[in-house]
Amino acid sequence: MNSDLVINDLRVSVEDKEILKGVNLTVKAGSIHAIMGPNGSGKSTLAYTLMGHPGYTVTGGEVWYQGRNILELEPDERSKLGLFLAFQYPVAIPGVTVANFLRAAINAHRAEEGKDPKETAIPMAQFRKQLREQMAALGIDEGFARRYLNEGFSGGEKKRIEILQMAMLEPSMAIMDETDSGLDIDALKIVAQGVNTLYAQHPEMGVLVITHYQRLLNYIKPHFVSVLMDGRIVREGGPELALELEEKGYDFIREEVASA
Amino acid sequence: MTMKTFPPLGEISDALVTEMSQAAGEPEWLTAQRVEAWRFFASAEPPYWRRTDLSKFRPEQVIAAADTAATSVYYEEDLTEKGVVLVTLEQALRSHEALIRQHLGAAIEPTRHKFLALNAALWRDGVFLYVPKNVTVELPLTAVFSMPIPGGAIMPRNLIILDDGANVTFVEEYHSTAASDQAFAAPVTEMFLGNDATLRFIAVQTWGEDVYHIGAQKARVGRGATIEWAAVNLGARVQHIEAETSLEGDGSRVEWVAATFAGDHQNLLTAPWLRHIGAKTEAHMDFKTVVKDQSYTTFDGMIKIERQSRATVSRLEEHALHLSPKARSDSIPGLMIDTNDVARAGHASTSGEVDEEQLFYMRSRGIPRDDAIHLIVTGFFEPVLDRIPHDALRRRIADMIEAKI
Ligand SMILES: Nc1ncnc2c1ncn2[C@@H]1O[C@H](COP(=O)(O)OP(=O)(O)OP(=O)(O)O)[C@@H](O)[C@H]1O
Ligand SMILES: [Mg+2]
Repeated sequence: MNSDLVINDLRVSVEDKEILKGVNLTVKAGSIHAIMGPNGSGKSTLAYTLMGHPGYTVTGGEVWYQGRNILELEPDERSKLGLFLAFQYPVAIPGVTVANFLRAAINAHRAEEGKDPKETAIPMAQFRKQLREQMAALGIDEGFARRYLNEGFSGGEKKRIEILQMAMLEPSMAIMDETDSGLDIDALKIVAQGVNTLYAQHPEMGVLVITHYQRLLNYIKPHFVSVLMDGRIVREGGPELALELEEKGYDFIREEVASA
Repeated sequence: MTMKTFPPLGEISDALVTEMSQAAGEPEWLTAQRVEAWRFFASAEPPYWRRTDLSKFRPEQVIAAADTAATSVYYEEDLTEKGVVLVTLEQALRSHEALIRQHLGAAIEPTRHKFLALNAALWRDGVFLYVPKNVTVELPLTAVFSMPIPGGAIMPRNLIILDDGANVTFVEEYHSTAASDQAFAAPVTEMFLGNDATLRFIAVQTWGEDVYHIGAQKARVGRGATIEWAAVNLGARVQHIEAETSLEGDGSRVEWVAATFAGDHQNLLTAPWLRHIGAKTEAHMDFKTVVKDQSYTTFDGMIKIERQSRATVSRLEEHALHLSPKARSDSIPGLMIDTNDVARAGHASTSGEVDEEQLFYMRSRGIPRDDAIHLIVTGFFEPVLDRIPHDALRRRIADMIEAKI
């Protein structure tokens, strides 16, 4: 079974407007892969489509993961297959505490066909311990466990809670959509450390990091960098590509694409 | 248990009302009140309620309980030591007649409509709660009303009196042990809060599926006093509850939350009225409704800011969640302002299906669609459930909500 995430000629429309125009990209298991690209180029569209957001219509292509074309799966099935998306704009769930939400998510992952969910559920004490440890590692105040998910959270707090969820769910393929935006420099370091720790514990994990800034990539070091522009991957390279972009901006790639 | 009942309503006369009141040893003033109310009931047309379906309701055939078998009270600490009284209203007539005479009907006018008059004429069930000056009762006090005879009727009358500085939690619960034929409940609860008193009032309606519930509740709130009112409406075929908070004293406050969940063909109406009368009164209302199947709910609210009030703060939120396209929820919020001196008044209202972005977010974490909807609905009601003081009751309500989803 292939643990790489293989995207073949993916075409996606939103409200009849084509946003992704044939994306080809492989995120290798065990690799950290950065995607950069100008505003509106389709990065979030790609992230949402990989996770199965119903608002994005796939008009062509395939996405293979663990031997399945995941485009045929529901979002919760993709999650159980090991996919995770840290949202650029996480939504609030009023009345549902961070702890209860996480427990529901973990138990959904542990559920097995034909078994009583009570049997497969994580023991309360184990859950509490795990949650406390992960929150401490990410510098999240314990009080957040009892707060309603993302309700009234600051931008930075929301991003930390996304990474907390990732750490608790231990995905095999994590997509992070601009997790660095809205984070101050200390929070950025803590969040990056959280990701690196998880990656160190699960070296087979694939990570797709969407970002605008080299700053994040100083802490989460990518093996590969791809550039998405106007719905297509127009350039692929190693970490040096991100540095080049930082220095020159996107114009030089635009010119290359135009003259090609 | 043997039950005393009235004959069917269609066969009751003034003379019988008098006779039964006298036989119970009631004071003359009360007998006179009952007869007057009975006459109103017997002669008045049924109220015309556009949004409460009484077309299948046959009051003539109703057989009302004539004793207090439907009333149970529960408390967990020694009340007598503190001078707190929690007994049936019938019993309290013997010990607290003057207080009862002074307050009975002083919040809710019996002739507002036919069914309030019926309650005033025939009540036997119901409790009397009196909390003396500056006394705090730590643990919640509870009155549970259940339907004693299948297909019967109860008309509980509750009188809650908090002296100045008193502090208490009171739960009134309407509860069926089993679904039955058409049954009828017409309860009335009057609440009086002295200066600086605090009342946490929790009203839970979890009747079986064929009950008609036509009720009224009103709180008159004194200077500096606070009422925290939480209502849960889950049961009954038809519910029509007129509820009122009257912020009479300066600096009086209400925090008012409600959770209504209708399914099947339920028709549940809540008509909360809020009156700002005193200066610097403050109200926060948060009413939540979930509708499913072919049910129909109404929020028929009215906020009145009276001429003499000043520096009023009033905030109303009402939100409805639709779990199926055939269900309907109407919201008719009204606002009448007779003063120029409002500090803040606001209203927010939403109505719609479960949010797709929330669903997607939850599903992206592995939570299946149905479970995600469960979590969203229980989360939606959480601010109300949070105020229910007994763990066992909260769990039972949560289970009922789960089962309805
Ligand atoms: N739900 C939607 N409805 C309408 N248009 C959309 C929707 N989602 C995305 N788009 C459009 O698709 C294009 C790509 O948007 P997307 O959010 O994928 O860009 P992005 O690369 O993530 O940008 P940013 O760097 O600003 O986050 C934009 O033109 C955007 O307006
Ligand atoms: Mg984006």
